[in-house]
Amino acid sequence: MTDGWNIVVCVKQVPDADDVTIDPDTGTLNRSDAPAVLNSPDRNAVESALELRAAVGGTVTAITMGPPVAKAVLQTAVGAGADGGVLLTDRAFGGSDTWPTSLALARAAAELDADVVICGEESTDSSTGQVPPGIAAHNGWSQLTYVESLEPRPDEGVLVGKRDVEGGYERVAAQLPVVVAMEFGANVPRPAGLHRKIFAETEFEPVEWTASDLGIEEQVGLANSPTKVGGMDTASPVERERVVVDSVDDLYEHIEEVV
Amino acid sequence: MSVDIEAYEDVWVFVEQHDGVVAPVSWELLAKGRELADETGDDLVALVMGDGVSALAEAAVSRGADRALLADDPVFEPYRADPYGEQFRALVEERKPSIVLIGGSHTGRDFAGRVAVPAHAGLTADCTELDVDDEGLLLASRPTFGGDAMATIKCPAHRPQMATVRPGVFDAGNPTEHVSDPAAAVEEVEVVVAEEDTLSTVIERVVGDVVDITDADVVVAGGAGCEGNFAPIEELADALGGEVAATRAAVDEGWVEPARQVGQTGKTVRPQLYVAAGISGAVQHLEGMNDSDVVVAVNTDPNAPIFENADYGIVGDLHEVLPELTALVRAKQEVTA
Ligand SMILES: Cc1cc2nc3c(=O)[nH]c(=O)nc-3n(C[C@H](O)[C@H](O)[C@H](O)COP(=O)(O)OP(=O)(O)OC[C@H]3O[C@@H](n4cnc5c(N)ncnc54)[C@H](O)[C@@H]3O)c2cc1C
Ligand SMILES: Nc1ncnc2c1ncn2[C@@H]1O[C@H](COP(=O)(O)O)[C@@H](O)[C@H]1O
Repeated sequence: MTDGWNIVVCVKQVPDADDVTIDPDTGTLNRSDAPAVLNSPDRNAVESALELRAAVGGTVTAITMGPPVAKAVLQTAVGAGADGGVLLTDRAFGGSDTWPTSLALARAAAELDADVVICGEESTDSSTGQVPPGIAAHNGWSQLTYVESLEPRPDEGVLVGKRDVEGGYERVAAQLPVVVAMEFGANVPRPAGLHRKIFAETEFEPVEWTASDLGIEEQVGLANSPTKVGGMDTASPVERERVVVDSVDDLYEHIEEVV
Repeated sequence: MSVDIEAYEDVWVFVEQHDGVVAPVSWELLAKGRELADETGDDLVALVMGDGVSALAEAAVSRGADRALLADDPVFEPYRADPYGEQFRALVEERKPSIVLIGGSHTGRDFAGRVAVPAHAGLTADCTELDVDDEGLLLASRPTFGGDAMATIKCPAHRPQMATVRPGVFDAGNPTEHVSDPAAAVEEVEVVVAEEDTLSTVIERVVGDVVDITDADVVVAGGAGCEGNFAPIEELADALGGEVAATRAAVDEGWVEPARQVGQTGKTVRPQLYVAAGISGAVQHLEGMNDSDVVVAVNTDPNAPIFENADYGIVGDLHEVLPELTALVRAKQEVTA
């Protein structure tokens, strides 16, 4: 593997949680005009992909599945230093749950001849964390989730990941190709370089693939998603007293009533 | 593509264990699984995988499972996604469970995501309510983005119907059923994976004791506002006889152990009293403590969202407020002692 590794990083466009405000009286969210941004855990994935490239050589390709405007998250990744980007976009993908989503990303990763696929811990809008193990399962590849740090061993064709597990950690050596989900906050994402950012926003054009380019048009979309949203209920906002007291003595009295 | 759903029956619970110790969330799910199986008229089946873990399979039967399936082999210790996944796939293909419940721990989510794909199962993450409808269809409910709504997810045409649930959401209860010979209800299954076919190796595993904050009556939680000094939190928790908890921000800083993290990606607690100090009140945090009886907030910022989600609040520096509060609690204890 003298040419280094083909590193693929999965980035997703989500509504900006910081711009979503809670209406204190109804407990509901105003998110209609929240702008779409890069899923923040995916920043850790991008950083980790760039660090891996620095360690072993090779290329970093960002991929996203989404509507054409999702090109923006590829631009963010390219601005940070990714070499290129692929946009999986097709009406046929609409309504996909994690099963077809991970299929599309898995096929694209195989098409790119990936050695390592790096994802975020979970997406802030669907927050399942299911897509990374799903990609690995579709391709029969190894997987490392909740990863705090990576240690490549290119001579052995192995990637060692330090995983956060309940009560401690473990280090797991995974054969390539491998799908990694970085733990949110595992590293400090670098800012985009000015020239790279200008390139990403003016010259960079992603490669576009449709479902039929990937040969999966019969396996994606709402119809091929095992899960269906059966209903939505507004979560009854928890009734709280919302009393703000002026002194610690007053606060203590309220606490004393409880315990 | 859909399957003959009539062929699928039984409620399975994946019993997560490490080194022979069962993750408490597995017993919580076994208790919930019992309710669901009673409603659908199916059997409750515990799935136990590991090396030399037949006692755990028997424990699952004693705790209410009708049967336990035991996959016992050195290849299953410690946990790895690929051998566990392959064994599970083979079992599902052969035995066709209708519902599979898995703990929402890192291990459980790693496993669930892996196995749902080959089974073409519907998998719903982080459910906070589980029920079955008249036709025995699983109704898996979870808060959606921002916690403003509850979405109920169904899986009408695929099996199994899988769900993960974070620790602390359901009550493990006390095993009451008396089973004279639990071993009789344990079936050892054929192991279909071989070590040489695995894709990964665990080269080091460092795991200490794991605290369980989910049953505490009093929880005192600190956030980024502690600025590295958790002593005021620990002292108040000690005075009140409660547990220390934290936001993900405080855990990420290394001030507190991860097992004490409350929130969407941590534990769910529902104490009588939850004190949130130096915590802004992000939706991901609120999700883990919103069922607390009484919430008290201490924050320097009067506009912090936590005040909207608290019963009693005080605007102030936690490094001053908490020690004063601790002193009042201690003084009262001395008077009554
Ligand atoms: C995928 C994902 C999953 C997540 N899961 C979780 C989760 O499970 N649990 C969780 O908690 N978070 C989770 N988060 C993070 C969450 O979004 C917030 O970032 C986090 O909860 C903020 O923690 P905090 O309140 O401690 O810190 P901050 O938001 O920084 O708030 C600190 C607060 O302390 C106050 N303060 C500062 N100094 C003092 C002082 N001296 N005295 C009193 N108050 C002071 C400030 O006014 C501020 O309100 C998750 C995020 C993502 C993206
Ligand atoms: N549509 C998508 N496009 C690209 N990557 C995705 C997409 N959905 C999920 N991912 C990746 O999978 C991770 C986990 O997402 P999820 O399983 O949706 O919580 C994200 O952090 C991304 O890295």
